[in-house]
Amino acid sequence: MNKLIFFLLFFICSMQINVEEKVNFDNEAYPFVSEAQESLFYSLLNELRCPKCQSSNLAGSNSPISNDLKREVYELVVEGKSSKQIKDHLVDRYGNFIIYNPPIEPATYALWFGPFILILISALVIIFVRKRII
Amino acid sequence: MKKIIDALPLVAFASLIIVLFSFLSDRDDQLETALIDSSFPEFKLGSLSDESRVLTKQDIIKLPALINVWATWCIACRVEHPFLMKLKEESRLTIYGLNYKDNKLKALDLLERDGNPFEFSIYDFEGRLAIDLGVYGAPETFFIDKNGLIRERHVGVIDEKVWEEKFSKYLNE
Repeated sequence: MNKLIFFLLFFICSMQINVEEKVNFDNEAYPFVSEAQESLFYSLLNELRCPKCQSSNLAGSNSPISNDLKREVYELVVEGKSSKQIKDHLVDRYGNFIIYNPPIEPATYALWFGPFILILISALVIIFVRKRII
Repeated sequence: MKKIIDALPLVAFASLIIVLFSFLSDRDDQLETALIDSSFPEFKLGSLSDESRVLTKQDIIKLPALINVWATWCIACRVEHPFLMKLKEESRLTIYGLNYKDNKLKALDLLERDGNPFEFSIYDFEGRLAIDLGVYGAPETFFIDKNGLIRERHVGVIDEKVWEEKFSKYLNE
């Protein structure tokens, strides 16, 4: 029973609190003709990182460079570009840094596979240690 | 043997700490540059000194060149200014300015007072060309080689040391 409570507590504590950042925009500053474009615009602002204030996304930042990038994203959305085209457009200029979701390539192998390797090592250690104790 | 095995976790932990600490001292805050070895982006913007003059990529003809992103609100740019003046005097490089989100009158005042190291300054009030260059602050400096390719980029003040380490090698090509 105690073990179960411990496990549940552990699970709850490690859950990510994921609150979509709701930032009040002046909707008149970014007028859209369709709802699809509007939701694409706001989802991109949440997904793109502000290059100046590196722990914040574009939606959560009001720095001059973020506002310029919002305008850039806005113009691309209105032109009818897709989410992927817009991200590629910005990655071409700012590098992978600008998206929070880096692609799998040699420079990011450690990032993507490191945790799994650590889990594997830990598992091996646990198995090894338990055998010795028994 | 048993002792060695018992000590393994401690050794592993200690080496992890050492590795992580060594990253702490690595204070390189330069972002990767997506534009290295690509050609200078197209643009169409006014000149800082002459409102009626429209500048494009075709106006950047004296190569090799530096493109320096500057503004009067940028204190570090003022620190850098004397070095740019010196570069202009002493090297065969052309320096082009990209006046970034600035007040035109203040910018012209500053060049009048402290000297103008730039062949001309592009007036980018809205930060259009800056976005195409991946600029996220000032000062930033790009080196354009004789073929018009961007070869190097530095974020922050250029001084003697940065010049020697990052830029001077391209002049001898």
